[in-house]
Amino acid sequence: MDSASRYISLGKPNRADHLWRYTSWKKVHPTGDIAEMPPLGQPELSLGMMDGSEPPSGIRLEQGIEGDLDFSMDNALTNAFLHASAKSSQWTLVVDKGFAPGKPIILEIRPGDSPSVAHISLDIGEISEIELVTKITGRSEWFGLLRTGQIRNGAIMNDVVLGLQEKGTLLRSDAIAIGRDAQVRAGTVSSGSERTKADLRYIMGDPGGNIRVLGSILSADSMHLDHHIEIHHEAPETFSRLSWHSACGGSSRTIGTGMLTIRKGSKGADAAQIFHNLLLSESAKADSIPELEVMENDVVGCGHGTANGPIDEDQMFYLKARGFDEDSAKSSLIAAFLNSTLSEMGGTELHEWLVSELSLKLEALDT
Amino acid sequence: MPGKTPLLEINDLHAGIDGNEILKGINLIIGPGEIHAIMGRNGSGKTTAANVIMGHPDFDVEKGDVILEGESLLEMEPWERARKGVFLSFQYPQAVPGLQVGNFLRKSVASIRGEDEAKGPNFREKLANAMEALDIPRSFMARYVNDGFSGGEKKRFEILQMMLLSPRLAILDETDSGLDIDGIRTVSEGINAAIRGTDSGALIITHYSRILEHVQPDRVHVLLGGRIVSSGGPELATKLEERGYEWLKEE
Repeated sequence: MDSASRYISLGKPNRADHLWRYTSWKKVHPTGDIAEMPPLGQPELSLGMMDGSEPPSGIRLEQGIEGDLDFSMDNALTNAFLHASAKSSQWTLVVDKGFAPGKPIILEIRPGDSPSVAHISLDIGEISEIELVTKITGRSEWFGLLRTGQIRNGAIMNDVVLGLQEKGTLLRSDAIAIGRDAQVRAGTVSSGSERTKADLRYIMGDPGGNIRVLGSILSADSMHLDHHIEIHHEAPETFSRLSWHSACGGSSRTIGTGMLTIRKGSKGADAAQIFHNLLLSESAKADSIPELEVMENDVVGCGHGTANGPIDEDQMFYLKARGFDEDSAKSSLIAAFLNSTLSEMGGTELHEWLVSELSLKLEALDT
Repeated sequence: MPGKTPLLEINDLHAGIDGNEILKGINLIIGPGEIHAIMGRNGSGKTTAANVIMGHPDFDVEKGDVILEGESLLEMEPWERARKGVFLSFQYPQAVPGLQVGNFLRKSVASIRGEDEAKGPNFREKLANAMEALDIPRSFMARYVNDGFSGGEKKRFEILQMMLLSPRLAILDETDSGLDIDGIRTVSEGINAAIRGTDSGALIITHYSRILEHVQPDRVHVLLGGRIVSSGGPELATKLEERGYEWLKEE
C-alpha cells in the first residue's frame, strides 16, 4: 500500500486519543478537509556554515530517500500524509562516517509563500561528530516537515530544529533511530508559526544510546504550540532526559506531552522527563502531561514531573534592584528561563547563535 | 554636618506588610562618606528597613520619608532608586538559572552607570581587579546568577556587584552571615575599597560585631521592635556583643 492510500485508509483520528487531544488533525491539515490531499509545493533547502560559507565535504543533501517507513506506531497518520505529500521533495542528509567539522552546520529551509512540505531522512555516519541546526523561516501559511532516519553507532550529534516562521501552521514529525553508543542532543526552539503540531519520536533500539531532548518554546499573541515527545528505550543501558521549557504570553497556549517507554529487556535504562511552563499573562495557558510505560524492573531510574508558574516576583525585584526596568527584567527572566534548556543544546558557538536568534524573536513578540 | 546635604535621611518612617506595622517611626541620617551599622535581634525590622529603602513592592509605607541627597525615594520604582545610586546587598540573593553572570553584570552596569561604563577595556579591568580582590575565579562569568552558589560565593558576588556599580548608598543586609573568617575579611576589604575615601555611604545590617572590626562604622544604631532605641559610636557594637540586648530594654 502506498502512503497516500495508507493515509486515506486510516480515516479520521479520534480526539480522545492522547495524540490528538489538544490539537485536532483537522486544525493542522493544510485545508482542514481531512479527506483531501492537496498539492503542496517544495521548499528551498540549503546547507551552509554560520558565516554563510559552504560546508566542508563530508556532509551533503541528496535527492530521494531509500528504504521504507515504519508505520507501526500511532504517528502513522501524520507520517503517511507527509510522506505522500512530499513525494517530489524527499532528501537524504548524509554525514560521512567519522566526519567532524568542528563547527555548527545550518540546514536552512525556506518554505516560500505557498504551502509546502519536505521529507528529510537523516543518515548520520558512524563515529561522526556534528552540530546541525535546521532553521525554518518564511511566511508560508502551511509547512510540513517529516524527518526520519538514523544516527548511527557511536555518532555524537547535536540536532537542533529552530522554528522561526512568521506565521502559518507547522506540522512536524520526527521518527529517528539512535544507534549503539550514539550520543544525541535533540533540541527544539520554537517561537514562530501561529500553530504548531509536532510529534517527535526517538527510538533507542541498540545498547548504550544516550539522548537529551530539550525544548525552548516561546509563545505569544494567540499562538498554539503543541509538542508531543516520545522516547523509546528498547535496549539495555540506554539513557534519556527530556527537559522542556515553555514560556507562554498573550492569550497563547502551549502543550507538551511526553511518553517514555522502557521495553522489557532494557536493563539498566535510565530515563526522566520534566516540563516547566512559565506563564506570562493571565490568559496564557500551558498543559503538560508526562507519561511513562515501564515494562522492565531492572532500571536505574524513571521519573517525570511538571511545574507551572508565573514570573518569580523575588527574581524580578532582584533584577530591578540592579537597575533593570520592568520590561528589561521581564524579558531577561524569560530569556533566562528558555536559556536553561537552550544552553544544553550545543557548544558555546551554537549556543551564542541560538541566543541571538531567540533574542530577536523575544524583542519582536509581545509576550 | 552643618551646611552639608545628608546622603540619606530617614524621617519618622512607619512601614509594614499586609497591615502589620513593622517599622514604627525610624529616624536616621547618614552623611557623605559615613558608614553606619544597624544591629538588632531577629524580627526587629532590619531587613524590612533595607527592603523599604530599596522599594520592595510587598512593603507599604504608612508614614514618613526616605530621602537620598535631597530627593524622596518613596515614589520611585526600585530600578529608579538603583539608578539614583542605592544598592542593596541581599541577605538571600536570588538565583536566576539561565542568566549568565557576565551578561547580568554588563546589563546591570549599563543600566546604572551607562552603556559606556559596561564595555571596553576599562570595564574589563575594573571587573578583573574586583574579582581578584574578592578571590573570585574567572570561571564565575559563565555560571548562572547565584545558581548553585555556596553561601560565601553569593555574598562575594553581591560585593562584586557593589564594587562595579559604585553606589552612592550601599545597604548591606547581613552580608557577613554565612561567611568564614577569611570571607568576612575579604568582603570587608571590598566594602572599604568601595566606600572609604569616597563621598558615598553605607548602612551595614548585622547581628555580630565581627564585620565591624574590619569595617569601622562611624555610628552604630540598635533597632528593637521597629524603633531605633540606641545610637552610639563603634563601642556600642562591642557592648552589644558582650551584654546582648536585654540591658537596652531595661534602660
